[in-house]
Amino acid sequence: MEQEKRPNALLDPLKFRAAVYDQIRSEDAGFSNYSYWRSTLRTFFKSKAVVLLVGVVILLILMSVFYPIFSDVDPTRISRLPLEWNLRPSREHWFGTDTLGRDIWARAWYGVRNSFLLGFAIACSDVGFGTIAGALWGYNKKLDPFMIELYNIMTNIPSTVYLVLLAYIMNTSYLTLFISMASRGWIVEARFFRNRILSLRDSEYNIASKCLGTSMRRIAFRNIIPHIISLIIMEAALCIPYSIGAEVFMGFVGVGMPVDAITLGNIVNQGRASFTLHPYQMLLPSGILCLITVAFYVIGNKFADASDPRNHV
Amino acid sequence: MRKYILSRILRSLITVAIVFVAVFMLLRLMPLSGYFPQEILKETDEATRMTYLRNQGLLDHPLLQLWRFLQRLFQGDLGRSLTVYPKVPISTLLKEKIPVTAAFGFASMVTGIVLGIALGLLMVRYKDKWGDRAGTVYILLVRAIPSLIYLFFIQVWVSKWFHLPLVFYKNRPSSWILPTICLSLGSIAYYALWLRRFMVDEENRDYVKFAQVKGLSKKEVLRRHVFKNAVIPLTVYIPTDLLFIISGSLIIETLYAIPGTGGLLTSAIKAQDNNLVQVIVLMYAVLSVVGVFLGDLLVAFVDPRIKLTEGE
Amino acid sequence: MTETACFHGAEPILSAKNVEIKFNLRGKVLTAVRGASLDLYPGETLAIVGESGCGKSVFTKSFIGMLDKNGSVTGGQILYRGEDLTQYTTEAEWLRIRGKKIAMVFQDPMTSLNPVRTIGEQITEVITWHFGTEHEQAKREAVNLLKRVGITDAESRYRQYPGEFSGGMRQRVVIAAAIACRPEILICDEPTTALDVTVQAQILQLIRRLQKELNMTVVYITHDLGVVANVADRVSVMYAGQIIEHGTVHEIFQQPAHPYTKALLRSLPQLGVKGHALYSINGTPPNLFKEIAGDAFAPRNPEAMEIDFEQEPPSFPLSETHWAKTWLLHPYAREYRAALDERDFHIHEQRQPEQAFDYSGNPEKLLQVRDLSVRFKLAGKEFSAVDHVNFDVYKGETLSLVGESGSGKTTIGRAIMRIYQSNVTGQILYKGRPITGKLDKETVRRLRMEMQMIFQDPMASLNERAKVDYIISEGLYNYHLYKNKADRNRKVAEIMDEVGLSKDFSSRFPHEFSGGQRQRIGIARSLVMNPDFIVADEPISALDVSIRAQVINLLNKLKRERGLTYLFIAHDLSVVRFISDRIAVINKGRIVELAACEELFRHPLHPYTKALLSAVPYPDPDTERDKNPLVYDRRMHNYDADKPQWVEIVPGHFVLGNGEELALYRKEIEAS
Repeated sequence: MEQEKRPNALLDPLKFRAAVYDQIRSEDAGFSNYSYWRSTLRTFFKSKAVVLLVGVVILLILMSVFYPIFSDVDPTRISRLPLEWNLRPSREHWFGTDTLGRDIWARAWYGVRNSFLLGFAIACSDVGFGTIAGALWGYNKKLDPFMIELYNIMTNIPSTVYLVLLAYIMNTSYLTLFISMASRGWIVEARFFRNRILSLRDSEYNIASKCLGTSMRRIAFRNIIPHIISLIIMEAALCIPYSIGAEVFMGFVGVGMPVDAITLGNIVNQGRASFTLHPYQMLLPSGILCLITVAFYVIGNKFADASDPRNHV
Repeated sequence: MRKYILSRILRSLITVAIVFVAVFMLLRLMPLSGYFPQEILKETDEATRMTYLRNQGLLDHPLLQLWRFLQRLFQGDLGRSLTVYPKVPISTLLKEKIPVTAAFGFASMVTGIVLGIALGLLMVRYKDKWGDRAGTVYILLVRAIPSLIYLFFIQVWVSKWFHLPLVFYKNRPSSWILPTICLSLGSIAYYALWLRRFMVDEENRDYVKFAQVKGLSKKEVLRRHVFKNAVIPLTVYIPTDLLFIISGSLIIETLYAIPGTGGLLTSAIKAQDNNLVQVIVLMYAVLSVVGVFLGDLLVAFVDPRIKLTEGE
Repeated sequence: MTETACFHGAEPILSAKNVEIKFNLRGKVLTAVRGASLDLYPGETLAIVGESGCGKSVFTKSFIGMLDKNGSVTGGQILYRGEDLTQYTTEAEWLRIRGKKIAMVFQDPMTSLNPVRTIGEQITEVITWHFGTEHEQAKREAVNLLKRVGITDAESRYRQYPGEFSGGMRQRVVIAAAIACRPEILICDEPTTALDVTVQAQILQLIRRLQKELNMTVVYITHDLGVVANVADRVSVMYAGQIIEHGTVHEIFQQPAHPYTKALLRSLPQLGVKGHALYSINGTPPNLFKEIAGDAFAPRNPEAMEIDFEQEPPSFPLSETHWAKTWLLHPYAREYRAALDERDFHIHEQRQPEQAFDYSGNPEKLLQVRDLSVRFKLAGKEFSAVDHVNFDVYKGETLSLVGESGSGKTTIGRAIMRIYQSNVTGQILYKGRPITGKLDKETVRRLRMEMQMIFQDPMASLNERAKVDYIISEGLYNYHLYKNKADRNRKVAEIMDEVGLSKDFSSRFPHEFSGGQRQRIGIARSLVMNPDFIVADEPISALDVSIRAQVINLLNKLKRERGLTYLFIAHDLSVVRFISDRIAVINKGRIVELAACEELFRHPLHPYTKALLSAVPYPDPDTERDKNPLVYDRRMHNYDADKPQWVEIVPGHFVLGNGEELALYRKEIEAS
């Protein structure tokens, strides 16, 4: 076979004796000081688009919180002067005014705030109840036939028809909107989490915990939640675009919020009516709305990617 | 296999029954004012209205009302519209509107499948290149932005660019194009997203590697193994797509003034026409359950794995 | 085939020279193959042996241009019939060779076939694609191929889907597809690892037969030295991306030269002496992301020389056919080597097997299992995973439960651990008291502390999101078995020391550890409860060969020092023979035979036991060569009229059989 590559002359005969054996060195499998969350965040923020969008979201949240506090523009103030109606964007009215002379810039931020509130409420309830129900469902075999049937029935009806139906039989209000969305969202999430929890439940490390007599509570907090927390965050993030979209849709069908409520859905739907004459009335609020939904959608999905250890650096 | 279909039919029937009853019960909570045309609502007082409702049996026990509704249903009587088309029998209305909605739904379903698969293939073909990125952006926009907003802009702008009619005219085929495409936009994104995901998953499977090791060219492997295996699970999504299209038709038929059931539902809601809302919602609910059932059957037919596990 | 004769003088059909393969993994470069060389001669069988991650698969995949996208051959040549395959750039070039001249068979037959296309189509497509044969003709050829690989009723099975085939049958189909073009070289990547022992032997026989019929060169990639002894003419031993030793099968097994080869062979349980520590290799294989200086094995080799850490050894020839890459063969190392050989010789001399476990003094029955059945529902149908099983475990012994996958052995272990409850019937007594069904809290607490389990898959059995410190302390937290934080830390440190882990590891996450280290963490987690009885569910089958001995020794050491009793669940008979006092053989949910270890190996009675024993690969080329494994078919029993009984046929030797069979077994015992 192939012969020695290096000349023998360089070898030192004294090196041909026993070396000191180092147990630690033999165990070296390449310690990298890996931490799941640190790697997830690092992977998440590696993309510049994500950094930008997270910045945008923070800015939007800050604006929606602080604008209503510090601004003295009343978004509901109707002007009697036709001169103040349908003003194009200017230094005074950044987004112009609508058909009743209300300042669209101010309305937009109140709308963003209200839509955020609704979105966060939906996210909390959907994901919160969904996780709990999913955990019970995953851990209790007896619930299975019942829950599957319930899931099939509720998801077999198109979500829009369901929302419209519920909103139709109740009075239009925030609560109605919330109830009609939340009453359906939880079971979709429950199914999602049930599948995840089922596969976690039967994994060997959970059986090991069972053999050690670990209590359900500790199993939940130590073995289950750390593994699904990233999914919870992702699902919650995706609830925001969904709830905003649903609100716009319901406003369109005529079962949305009362006309005087300031929500993004109402602003957009009102702007739509006068679009041909005053396109800015719809364009600018729609821009903000799209920015929000796209940002949350991207953040949710990118976070899910980043939380998968296979994508870690 | 037959046993599977039978049990599946039985389960769907039960689901239809439950959905039907549940929706009907919910509809009993409809605002009572919705049983009267506007002018009567203005002219009459509370007491006369209640007497009318009582005489009509609308204050009876919901189950009794359900029984009566079913009896009439089997005679082909769906009641009459109140406010949208006053006094017109709903069955006549539906006879007129269902074909339109069905035609649009079918056309956009086909468009969705064809273009969706095409886009998915394009994204896989140019994975991590421009085709993939463009597709990803498209999917992102369609899924993230509320459909109403982009549908509206498409209606006002795209119709202008291509000189297409802004609304629907029955005898102008060019006015059909935009609504059909709009209705399928969501489906296209949906199919493309899943097809891409499935194909990428399949590409990493052992049998695909083995097919390559057998000496088949990449194209051949993609065609014979990856594509076929990725399309089969895609059939699972056809029922969901149907639900999408039903949802979409509510918006699109209203925007383009298409005389279909989706548009009818929105106008019935705006005009508070209880009878009409009730019938259309029930119809959609039943249609959805049946659609999901048919989709499941389709999957069972195309996927040999299901025959094996369920058939024995 | 005689080993050396046939390839000398012949030209190699494929020769790889100094191949280097690198992968780019998210910005980091992994050198998977670091200058490996190989010659393949017509008609020979070459085995490449190595543990996972040593680059053996990657190396052979480069022969057919099947490296993953992020990997490439960065150095060396692969010459096939005078052409350098590393120069190939287009797919068209590869397609002239891939599948047609060089074919490959993968490890897992369950995933190698497309589940939604019939097996016939999957064979036919190779023929039509490569030769442009017309479909009907190709179909006929495919049916012939199926017959050839031993599939009966080939015409009708042609139209079936892979889901309708068992694992062994699928591997036959895969082989049929691979040889469809009559390739010159067939590369088998762990072709039998995913299969049961009895099936494994049949597949190896099939490949050998086909090799003769088609005059192919076969390359086996395997970690199993038993398989190597069975099939190979020549052997290449691979470690950390290099072939470190190469020779004929006899040379490798009888005169290994590289310290790694020697250690690998010595650490086999078949060669160990019962009751003594098995020779074990310390540590874990090196990380190939890092630059490796000198001999890659040096850090794990207690006898390494200083030069091993500094310079990479060249290959030194030992004979015409045998060479090794180790400085030990350098003239300067002659004295050192002589000293090592001398010592090894003495170590071997001194060992005497330990006295077998003494059952005569009526030892205490720690665990009694009576008529245990476990039933499961699958797709609406109920079946018994475990069917009326009876056995006892005596205090201080190791009882092994041996069976193939799906035999129900793990289920028995889990039923004992009370993981399955509602679907369990029969009785399990621990220290004379029943432990099935509802128990009061105190009893459960006591059981959890006295009975523990060790799991099979070191990757899945540790919670990835918890630190080692928490994982080991979990039991301590549950029952508050510590006085204060310092006390808990001390306990964790003690136990980590006992299983041979540095206590600095306690703040790390499980990701950071190799399989063997993770398995030791799992053992520490059970031991910290200070149990008496341990169910060890295949604790070493997922580990690499070089790591297994470490864990076997650890388990034996703990048994001695702590007086533990084991129920050892396994499928590998060679390990079982080394570790256990008694063995129970289980088949399809029923225990068919139970006897003391040596008794079972000497006088197996049940036909299934016989088949199992005859199929076990033995790492000795001479015994493996002419082996003809027995085949067991359940249909040979006629249990309709005469139900089988579980009978103690001679003291300590139980067997399952009906009246007729038992009479036969008795006769067999008398005859011997």
